[in-house]
Amino acid sequence: MSTVDDPRKALEFLQGTLEVLILRSLQTTPNHAYGISQFLEQQSEYEFLVDNGSLYPALQRLLQRRWITSQWKKTPNGRRAKYYRLTPFGRAQLVAAKSKWMRFVEAMARVLAPER
Amino acid sequence: MREWWSKICRALHLQNGLENELSDEIEAHLDLLAADNMERGMPPEEARAAARRAFGNMTRTHENAREAWQFPRFETVLADIRYGLRGIRKSAGFSVVVILTLALGIGANTAIFSVVYAVLLRPLPYPNGERLVWLGESTSNEPGISVTWINFEHWRQESDSFLNMAAFATTDLTLTGRGDAVLTHAGLVTSSFFELTGAKPVLGRLFTEADDTLGAAPTAVVTADFWQRNLGGDANVVGQTLRLNGRSYEIIGMLRPGLRFFSRPLDFYLPIGPSRVTSLKRSDHGSMRALGLLKPGATLAQARTNLDAIMQRLALSDPGPEDDHRAYATYLTEETTGEIRPTLLVLMSAVGLVLLIACANVASLLLVRSTGRAREIAVRVAIGASRGRLARQLLTENLVIAAIGGALGLLVASWCLRTLVLLGPVDIPRLSEATLDLPVLTFAVITSIVVGLLAGLAPVFTAGKVDLTVALKEGSAASGTGRRGQALRSTLVITETALTFILAFASALLVRSLIAAQTSNPGFEPQHLLALELQLPESRYKSDENIRQYYGQLSASLRAEPGIEQVGLVMCPPGAGDCGDWWYSILERPTPARSDVPMTLFNIVDGAYFGAARMRVLAGRSFSDADRVGGSPVTVINEQLARQSWPDPQLALGQHLKVGGPYTEGPTLEIVGVVANVSQMGLDAEPMPTFYYPFSQKPSSAMVVMIRTNGDPAQWTSAARRHVSAIDRNVPIQSLRTSEDWLGATLKRRRFATLLLGLFGALALVLVSVGIYGVINYWVSARQREIAIRLALGATRSTILRWAAFDATRLAAMGIVLGAIGAWGASRWLKSLVFGVTEHSPLMLLIAAATVLAVAALAASLPLWRAMHTDAVQNLHEA
Repeated sequence: MSTVDDPRKALEFLQGTLEVLILRSLQTTPNHAYGISQFLEQQSEYEFLVDNGSLYPALQRLLQRRWITSQWKKTPNGRRAKYYRLTPFGRAQLVAAKSKWMRFVEAMARVLAPER
Repeated sequence: MREWWSKICRALHLQNGLENELSDEIEAHLDLLAADNMERGMPPEEARAAARRAFGNMTRTHENAREAWQFPRFETVLADIRYGLRGIRKSAGFSVVVILTLALGIGANTAIFSVVYAVLLRPLPYPNGERLVWLGESTSNEPGISVTWINFEHWRQESDSFLNMAAFATTDLTLTGRGDAVLTHAGLVTSSFFELTGAKPVLGRLFTEADDTLGAAPTAVVTADFWQRNLGGDANVVGQTLRLNGRSYEIIGMLRPGLRFFSRPLDFYLPIGPSRVTSLKRSDHGSMRALGLLKPGATLAQARTNLDAIMQRLALSDPGPEDDHRAYATYLTEETTGEIRPTLLVLMSAVGLVLLIACANVASLLLVRSTGRAREIAVRVAIGASRGRLARQLLTENLVIAAIGGALGLLVASWCLRTLVLLGPVDIPRLSEATLDLPVLTFAVITSIVVGLLAGLAPVFTAGKVDLTVALKEGSAASGTGRRGQALRSTLVITETALTFILAFASALLVRSLIAAQTSNPGFEPQHLLALELQLPESRYKSDENIRQYYGQLSASLRAEPGIEQVGLVMCPPGAGDCGDWWYSILERPTPARSDVPMTLFNIVDGAYFGAARMRVLAGRSFSDADRVGGSPVTVINEQLARQSWPDPQLALGQHLKVGGPYTEGPTLEIVGVVANVSQMGLDAEPMPTFYYPFSQKPSSAMVVMIRTNGDPAQWTSAARRHVSAIDRNVPIQSLRTSEDWLGATLKRRRFATLLLGLFGALALVLVSVGIYGVINYWVSARQREIAIRLALGATRSTILRWAAFDATRLAAMGIVLGAIGAWGASRWLKSLVFGVTEHSPLMLLIAAATVLAVAALAASLPLWRAMHTDAVQNLHEA
């Protein structure tokens, strides 16, 4: 087992994080699956590499929980794509999850890299 | 909750819609990707291909997304089952072999388990049956002898480990005044006996303490069977009287049917209190035993210590000849099943081995099949099936096969069980109650699942390790010849062979023992000997003189019958077991210490018996007319007893045997003769020391008349009945059968065990031959081309045979060696079933080895013949 993290390798999603990130990516504007994965990769400066095998099931789960809805629409380039949009319920979940994750991240940072 | 609801809706209607929509969405996704690629200047074709690569595993994306909206396990399991069933239909021959193998293995196991469950495991049908304890006394060398009344009374009053205690014994009484005299069987019990066994009356009432005291009016509680059979099912029986041995008993109640505490069916119960002989001494033994109900939380060890303490106290306060006696206590379950337990456990282990062999066989067959399927599996991995998914599917398929095998196994079991109960000796307690009930069905289901998993593991392990490139490149026939699969299959065959060897060895030992028992010298000539068992009613034959006269008259009248050569009297014929044992000592020998007094069986015979039975008189003489009442008391001892004290039977003559030993009262008898041992306890039992009283000096109302005929003794049965009723029609005949039947009955359990073990051995041989055939056949198929090349290069057929046979021989030899080691270890468990041969018999090991080897050779010969006759030209052309 290597003890030092290889920075060339993409990060893997922790359990439950992908759903939150999808919600975040839909916060300002509805988007399609490809768009979501592009958004996440760009925003994370390519630290995250989105695997479609995880993305699609996650979207299905969010749909089932009614946190997002979907609709077929035309893209700006005139192509058809399935757009996902936050529901009010999903927006509330995002707010809750966001503050929880921020606390978590700060706590992790405090433990792992305590200020001297 | 919400997720579930939407899953249900989708599962019902929308699945296809969803599936299409997902495909559309992925298609759109690819379009977007491709469009981006084209913007970067890729040609359309390439952009599309790059998009596909970038998207990743589409099948898995599909499946994962699908699982999000399905009940994944349930639906994939259904799919797997469907797939499994399709597979079974597709390879029908293979499936039939596997399913039949499993059905036989599971069926045999279920049948034997239901017997083990009914006899050993099922709780006793009494309230708190698990806390019931069987109580007796123990001497230093004889555990579990009868309890005396006074000791019992002390235990009952002073012990603080028991909630309740009951005493019981059985006796035979002659019922008169209702047609012909009949011999009846009575249980003598304390009133608490019915409380402990939970018995309830249908009519009237059961005993109370008042019925159970000395001097109470004689009362009886009848069983439902007796009421039906002898009292005509009369609803007004309560209040009627029964005349038993000339005494009147008032019927106070009838028991609900179903109480089967005593091994033989009883006609009625009498209170033990008034019927016991007034016993003033702590050493007045009868045949009484006791039953105790442990207090909740009390242990058996505590109870023993507790009762022993009482015995020690009594030894001080009321000293007597039996001060060294201690209490004997074991759980009732163990006491009643103790004898049959080792046999059943051996059978259960044997049938378990058969199941293991079946498992190994099925595993090896599945392995062959799955290596045949390596290409299919490789294709499925290539198009995106995950390892877990594949393993799950293979396991489900195996479980489907196991389930079908198990279901068929239940049919096999129900058939076997019926046969088992019919064949089984009646003296195995509760054998007839064995059925396919819930615990047994649970056992069958669990066995099937475990077998399915166990047999299925091998192919699953190899499936997980499929090397894609190799499997896809190789032809399907060759792809299974990997070293790994071959090694696993070889291990399975070696294991099977070893297990089969153990079973073959065990069967050989038991068969040899049965033969030894059947041909063992019983010490007399049982052929042409008819045994007429009588019990004179005490009311009519009160004095010894009456009894002597009756038997004298009967013997004389029988002797006058044409075809009857000799007639002798014996109380306890060979094969009847222990009809009485007691301590003894020899006056002329040093007095043994109190704890070392030896025991002997005793018997009563008349002067004609040894001649009629053709028993050899080794020294001295048989009884004669000179040995009469008032004359000097004499005895004839058997060889076994003589050998305990003298190197030569001759030396015993004229010496004196003290009945009861030095510390107990009893007559002193002069030894006038020594006779050969007979198989008293059974053909497969060691001889026991025995001494004989002369009937003239110690007449008994219960005797067996041994009739030596000059032909098939069964022809004289009606004549015997005629003579008995001509003299006195009030004398009931207890039994009338040939001496060979008496002896043969002693081997019933042995025959039963031998038959079953033999069947299991045969089953194992069949299974292992299928297994060996499968593996060698596979080996040959996989090497067909190699064989053809060798032949083409000039190898002779015999070289090929040697090469191919080497593998088979190696497997068989390793199996046999391992089996021999196993058998050596296992023989320890068989010791109690082995007779007339040592349990490590090298000859039996040799026979087992030869049998297994022969079966292996036979099984391997067909594929080897195929290997030898490979058509090199045709084979190479095809390639």
